[in-house]
Amino acid sequence: MAAKLATRPRDQLPRSRRGASYLARRRRVGYLLVLPALIALALVAIYPLLYNLVLSSRFDVATEPGTQHFVGMQNYHSLVVDPAFWGDLLHTGIFVVISVTLEFVAGMILALVVNRKFRARGLVRASILIPWAIPTAVSALLWKMFFDIRSGFVDFALSALHLPGAQTVWFNSPVLAWVPIILSDMWKNTPFIALLLLAGLQTIPQEIYESAKIDGASSWQAFWSLTLPLLRPAILVALIFRTLSAMLVFDTIFVMTGGGPGQSTEVIAYYNWYKYMVSLNFGYGAAVAVVITILALLLAGIYVRILRQREGFVT
Amino acid sequence: MRTWFGRTGFYVLVAVIILYSLFPFYWVFKSSMESSVALNQPTTGMLPVQWTFVHYEAIFAVENFLRPLLNSMLVAGLTTIVSVILGSMAAYGLARMPIKGKALILGFVLLVSFFPQIAMVGPLYLVFRHLHWLNTYQSLVIPYLILALPITTWILTAFFGQIPVDIEEAAMVDGASIRQTILKVFAPIALPGIFTAAILGFLLSWNDFLFALSFIQSPNMDTVPLALVNFRNAYYVHYGQIYAGVVVASLPIALIVLFLQQRIESGLTAGSVKG
Amino acid sequence: MVSRTRAKRAGMGILSGAILMGALAGCGSAAQSSGSKTVNLVFATQGLGTEAQATQQAVKEFEKLHPHIHVQIETLSASSNSAYQTLVTDLNSGSATPDVITSDVIWPPTFAAAKWIMPLNQFHPNMSRFYPGMVKAGEYKGKLYAIPWFINVEGVYYRTDLVKSPPKTFTQLVSDAKAAMAKNPKLIGLAFEGNKYEGAVTVFQDVSGGFGGSFLNSKGQPVLNSPQNIRALTWLDNAIKTGLSPKAVTGWEEGNVQQAFLSGDAVFATNWPYLYPLAEQKGSAVINKVGFVPPPTQGGKPTASLGGDDLVINKNTKYPKQAWELVSFLTSAKTMTQRALISGDPPARTDAYTPALLKKAPWFKQEEAVYADATPRPVTPLYPRISARIQEALSATYSGQLTPKQALDQAQKAVQAIVSGHGS
Repeated sequence: MAAKLATRPRDQLPRSRRGASYLARRRRVGYLLVLPALIALALVAIYPLLYNLVLSSRFDVATEPGTQHFVGMQNYHSLVVDPAFWGDLLHTGIFVVISVTLEFVAGMILALVVNRKFRARGLVRASILIPWAIPTAVSALLWKMFFDIRSGFVDFALSALHLPGAQTVWFNSPVLAWVPIILSDMWKNTPFIALLLLAGLQTIPQEIYESAKIDGASSWQAFWSLTLPLLRPAILVALIFRTLSAMLVFDTIFVMTGGGPGQSTEVIAYYNWYKYMVSLNFGYGAAVAVVITILALLLAGIYVRILRQREGFVT
Repeated sequence: MRTWFGRTGFYVLVAVIILYSLFPFYWVFKSSMESSVALNQPTTGMLPVQWTFVHYEAIFAVENFLRPLLNSMLVAGLTTIVSVILGSMAAYGLARMPIKGKALILGFVLLVSFFPQIAMVGPLYLVFRHLHWLNTYQSLVIPYLILALPITTWILTAFFGQIPVDIEEAAMVDGASIRQTILKVFAPIALPGIFTAAILGFLLSWNDFLFALSFIQSPNMDTVPLALVNFRNAYYVHYGQIYAGVVVASLPIALIVLFLQQRIESGLTAGSVKG
Repeated sequence: MVSRTRAKRAGMGILSGAILMGALAGCGSAAQSSGSKTVNLVFATQGLGTEAQATQQAVKEFEKLHPHIHVQIETLSASSNSAYQTLVTDLNSGSATPDVITSDVIWPPTFAAAKWIMPLNQFHPNMSRFYPGMVKAGEYKGKLYAIPWFINVEGVYYRTDLVKSPPKTFTQLVSDAKAAMAKNPKLIGLAFEGNKYEGAVTVFQDVSGGFGGSFLNSKGQPVLNSPQNIRALTWLDNAIKTGLSPKAVTGWEEGNVQQAFLSGDAVFATNWPYLYPLAEQKGSAVINKVGFVPPPTQGGKPTASLGGDDLVINKNTKYPKQAWELVSFLTSAKTMTQRALISGDPPARTDAYTPALLKKAPWFKQEEAVYADATPRPVTPLYPRISARIQEALSATYSGQLTPKQALDQAQKAVQAIVSGHGS
């Protein structure tokens, strides 16, 4: 949609009649209109980033007042040598790979289903959108209780069907604890991927498939050789958005496990929050925040490159 | 035979999707109707052992759950208003005015939505502490702009770009000022798009947990997600009340989604920069 | 007098429709008298329900006695972490309020080391009637910073109908529980708090002390991986592994243990005194079948982890004298007795256990025996960080990721770094 901005120079239409001074006035008004939003974003987003940069070079612990001082790169050094940080980074990486992969596959299936015309289509679309709209923390609470050993559904179903796994304390296993975490994350986020893919699917003209059919391609072949390549841009956008938010997962972990058992479900966002807001070690927390910001901006950079390559984007 | 099989398979898939999406809600509803004693016993069936409303009574009579509901509405509502005003202005400038560096500006707005929320928490906490703003509404409304303003700006820029320019042009030919053109001619046409942006801004602010967890300090300032996580006293976690609270908090969201599904979908796809 | 912080917090009209704000801001600063000689004290405290009721009543009586002091109660989050964070924020900013603060028994050293709260020796408090363990927990570098408000100790509850006499040793506890479980296989032998949180540390302290271990030695150096501690953690871990405790205890906090014991499902349970009145109330399945004793021993001394709340005074308060008046009123025997009657919070001083109280709440008699073995957690400003490491070690053990020895070795290393000033 944004593409249309560039295709026709609408903003210049009045030029011929009104002359240069009118154009300049419109331009000035234009800047004035954009400015408040930019200032607001700079204040709430850019300023904290700079603040982190400065703070990360200082020793600043709330419970030790009067001892703040410049320490150079020492916070970063402590971070690099902390095995817990690397462990949390690893957990985060594993979580990103598994959750994004599963959500992508499920989202693709969802999109393909909803793209077909059938009776209950409206119901499906609405029912998948509700989980998306539920706050992440609430989704985590809901799935935590779903896996509760007493009042949860999972235990009930497994026992009723005499399946193995009944009486499992999911949150006491460093591996199994990830199951509810990932299911909750999927429940909440798959719809988003599905919507993006669906919008992509709807731009593919039906005729392509018909001619493929005439050529004798099976629907499976058509999916691989036509749908997937044509969807490539939508897929990339969806994957990057999800990768970023999965990398920063916090609410789900905080609510479901608090990083436990042990530290087996601790992720980098939790690590950062804990250092900043519980240990109240502001200098160290700022250093972690800087590292996380760099990781996120790397992803953003990839994203912008992909957009650039796409035809029609505002340039 | 093959098509019959395929169609059955397809509807089984549809059923699985609907179940996965909605069944957890049923379970939380069922648990919210269960007595505390039953909640601590192994589950015996798909229906409550004994239907009870005690948890619903408790969250309003004992816990004053109305307060977090109002807090959340106020905070998300204010954020939405501010975002929509700032976002519409910026979007109009970007979509209609001959300014330079549009790609740069949109790129910057997009970049902000990539900034990790967790990295903002610490500095904002320290700034708010300095201003004595912790535990106030503005300590949430201001950070929520990071969540809501980028997406509103993007959506509105996309929507405004789609509105034909002819009508405004005609108005200007008739001698209307820029301001009159915007308010009298453009705004009414743009309203649906603005509404869409508002819904999304509202939902995104409503969903926040991290900022509220970090900046809110007393129970009477809790937002809904925070209040649900905090349904406990020093020793006791009130599971029944959490379930009842989840049901109460989910209802308005479910209604919003059911009634405004198409707007939300179009806004989401526009906001994530569909080409 | 409206305090500066309050005033600024109240001034939040900038962004908003004032009407909505006004409606939600509710009570608060506007209603306070300004100008005149009335002093406004802000009292930051935790506690909801009956605890809040007890606080309000005490404050009302205090205001009647001191007509020129108005006390504004600021309720902090029920979550210990976030209440701590709130207080640190207020105190660290140098704010003059809150003037009087309810502090978990483990916080005063941290606050005192940061010079946020004032030493109270200047007011010459008479501490002779308070439980000595609790008084000690409020001392830092030889000065008294905190007055105990109510005491809390983690002991062992047992079922008098299933166990003849309370076990003397941990081995005895296991065999008593096993005997009861043999008769009724549905029973839980020992219900304890095993979630990854502070409550797991206090249970571990109970057992560790009984086995003769401790967290820090007399020089303040960590001794977490001592043979005694390893034995203690192995005992707890075995309780889970051998089925004495259900695996679910790894996610349990006090409330879950409470449910298990009150529903009659548990032979033994570790918990705090608050559970006793609940066990003798309508709705409990164990009325008249409850005993509460100090934890058993096996080479160590009986150790009941000390909890409870203190009152401390903000160093920057504008009204130290009035703040002290409030503290000394709230910690008087009479107020404590009243609080015990309303909310069940056990008084922190012996003379508050009046015959009237004991008649109405006979369980306090049994509880008093446990207070004698009350043992504070390490009294150091570093405690919150040390505890975080112990929590990780316990959780890693219970979930089978590390053996008790591995987990405690790891915690020992981390805590050594914290104590020597290198760890975070």
